[in-house]
Amino acid sequence: MRLEKCWFCSSTIYPGHGIQFVRNDAKIFRFCRSKCHKNFKMKRNPRKVKWTKAYRKLHGKELTQDATFEFERRRNRPERYNREVVEQTLKAMKKIDEVRVQREAKFWESRMKGKKAKERTEAAKELEQNIHLVKAPGVMKSEPGFSLPKLAEKTKVKVSTSSKVEMQE
Amino acid sequence: MVLYNFKQITVVPSGKEFVDIILSRTQRQTPTVVHKGYAINRIRQFYMRKVKYTQTNFHEKISTILEDFPRLDDIHPFYGELLNHLYDKDHYKLALGQLNTARNLIEKIAKDYVRLLKYGDSLYRCKNLKKAALGRMCTVMKRVSPSLAYLEQVRQHMSRLPSIDPNTRTILICGYPNVGKSSFINKITRADVDVQPYAFTTKSLFVGHTDYKYMRWQVIDTPGILDHPLEECNTIEMLSITALAYLRAAVLFVVDLSGNCGYTIAQQAALFHSIRALFANKPVIIACNKTDLQPFETLPESDKKLIEEMRKEAARAGAGLVDGAPPDEENCMLTMSTMTEEGLINVKNAACEKLLQMRVEMKMKSKKINDCLNRIHVAVPKARDQKERPPVIPQAVLDARAAQNNAAENKRKLEKDLENENGGAGVYSANLHKHYLLLDPDWKDDIVPEIMDGHNIADFVDADILQRLDELEREEDERAAAAENGMDEDEDMSDQDLTPEEAEALAAIRRKKKLMLAEHRAKKKTADNKPVVPRRHDVERQFNTSRMGRHLSSLGLDPTAAVNRARSRSAAGTRSRKRERSEAAGGDDMEVDEQANKRMRSRTRSLSRPHKEALPGEGFKDSAQKVKAMKIGKNAVKERNKDARKGEADRVHYNKKPKHLFSGKRGTGKTDRR
Repeated sequence: MRLEKCWFCSSTIYPGHGIQFVRNDAKIFRFCRSKCHKNFKMKRNPRKVKWTKAYRKLHGKELTQDATFEFERRRNRPERYNREVVEQTLKAMKKIDEVRVQREAKFWESRMKGKKAKERTEAAKELEQNIHLVKAPGVMKSEPGFSLPKLAEKTKVKVSTSSKVEMQE
Repeated sequence: MVLYNFKQITVVPSGKEFVDIILSRTQRQTPTVVHKGYAINRIRQFYMRKVKYTQTNFHEKISTILEDFPRLDDIHPFYGELLNHLYDKDHYKLALGQLNTARNLIEKIAKDYVRLLKYGDSLYRCKNLKKAALGRMCTVMKRVSPSLAYLEQVRQHMSRLPSIDPNTRTILICGYPNVGKSSFINKITRADVDVQPYAFTTKSLFVGHTDYKYMRWQVIDTPGILDHPLEECNTIEMLSITALAYLRAAVLFVVDLSGNCGYTIAQQAALFHSIRALFANKPVIIACNKTDLQPFETLPESDKKLIEEMRKEAARAGAGLVDGAPPDEENCMLTMSTMTEEGLINVKNAACEKLLQMRVEMKMKSKKINDCLNRIHVAVPKARDQKERPPVIPQAVLDARAAQNNAAENKRKLEKDLENENGGAGVYSANLHKHYLLLDPDWKDDIVPEIMDGHNIADFVDADILQRLDELEREEDERAAAAENGMDEDEDMSDQDLTPEEAEALAAIRRKKKLMLAEHRAKKKTADNKPVVPRRHDVERQFNTSRMGRHLSSLGLDPTAAVNRARSRSAAGTRSRKRERSEAAGGDDMEVDEQANKRMRSRTRSLSRPHKEALPGEGFKDSAQKVKAMKIGKNAVKERNKDARKGEADRVHYNKKPKHLFSGKRGTGKTDRR
């Protein structure tokens, strides 16, 4: 008994689920549910379909290369059963899982890092540009207590024309 | 040789059928149309053809019958005698002879009438000649019909005779009726002969086949014979006697020890001696049957003596067969019981063995043996000295042979035995792990997990997985440490957050934007479908000053000035308020008042004359006419209806022939107005 990966969305296929399609060149396509199967029949490229793991990995939304992925490798040669090795493997698998999960979380964090700053600048800009929808411009000046947030980074660089002229000469 | 032909004899039709067949064939296969206007030769030819054709057919059919039936002198004497006993040789020959004569007669008739037809001078005469010829031929056949019927019966019976090969190895079973001959053959071969308690159950010969020493043996079961001279025997007994006489087989004389058949041993011994003559040159074995009812040891002495005598006779008969061998007294008499099946195989083997020896002897004596001998040559190395060289059998082989002899007692326990012990095929399931080769045999019965937490364990199994895991953990710790150090830079710019009022304003902006977007989208969608009502027709009265005032105050402006201005400019306001203002205003709004009064005065002047009065220069007959004209004139001034609703002139038929009016049946009513 083996858990397989869906060809389209890369989720695990448990026994009793899904469909396998064998093409004339003997390549086997396994699908976890009819959604993936139907998408395949429509000849959609999983790398272009947003919700699949292939897309996410391609577009850098998920962890692609990591040492924890090296542990899980399909070996085609059967190994003779050794109880100790299997015991060790079972314990190791749990730990590897933990490590992998942590690393994925950190990856996500680093991806979302600049979000707060970006949101802030966007909010400030929107407030400044569209305040007239809510408050009349005249009122703005008369209420000094209401001030717009300062836009932090952007400072306009003023090039003095005189220096330019000097350079030309 | 002759066996198969009995089943392939053509069917002999009865007299009437014969005639029918031939005549109908003549009618079908020869031309049927002739007129009296034809040339006389043509008419003659037509009828001659018919006569000849009929004769030829008769000839053919009778010839096939005569050829198919075997000639009793030409077949094996056993079959000849058999057929004689069954069907009477004379009758048989007579029937066939009659058929032959019929054939010749028909030929003569045909010849005569064809000669006559050559001189027929009219259609009528030729036709009558043909009728006469055919009629005579048919009468001949009808006269022969009893023979035909008899031959048909014979043919049917012959085809059902058992296919006995007279030349091959045969065992013949004979004896009194009811002694157990048919039971014996049933047990030895696959023949299914009727076994019943009454005498003469078996009425004809039955054949079964059995095997001995890789050869096929015929076993023939005969009807019982009674002890009376040949002349008094009936047909059924004659069958067995014929078989005994003509087949060169091993004879198995079955004796009933218990007397269950109804005849004593004395009577059976008497029978044996009377048919002794038939046993010349045949190996004889006496089989004492029904030992389960009467074992041989407990027989009375007189009976034993009789059987002894029989044995001696059998031995003597057998002695003449094999040269040089002493009379084999031992094997001549054997006991058996067909009920319990003991001794059956011994009897069969003994009979087969004896016959085989006899046949080999005969073959050795005949001329044919030289051909066989010429092909066999045993090569022996030439002896160069007197030394004895016995064959060498290695000790291991001898030990193995000894072990094999002992192996019958202590056989190795097979898996199959284990299965049978533990409940059989459906109950016991074999332990497939028993013979696994593992480092530690204790692991043989381990239940190995294959899947855990959504991963295949087989993908992870690795001898040095612990080492790699350690490396991974070290790497993880390093990374964690690095992350700690890197956390110095403060991402917490919380002082740059929006204040609550700003947040509120932002939320309001976003709501407003959403609303505007939705309205724009709705308007865009309905622009082509719904005509836009001009603002002047504010049916819902949504554009009023209170609303404007509320909107302005939400923006933060003071609405009073705008509201006042709006109110002052509206028409309703000026008319109703004119008096109030003149009273209340006093000196402040002097300018305004004067203006208003001036306007009023101009109006009042025009209102001094009644407007319905027809003035002379206007062109009206009288005031009634003028009033009518004014009324009609108001129609022209009526404002154009810009409600954009469909008017009378705006009827457009998009669908000139709606289907529901022009198709279908009505439940009641007519459909002639479509």
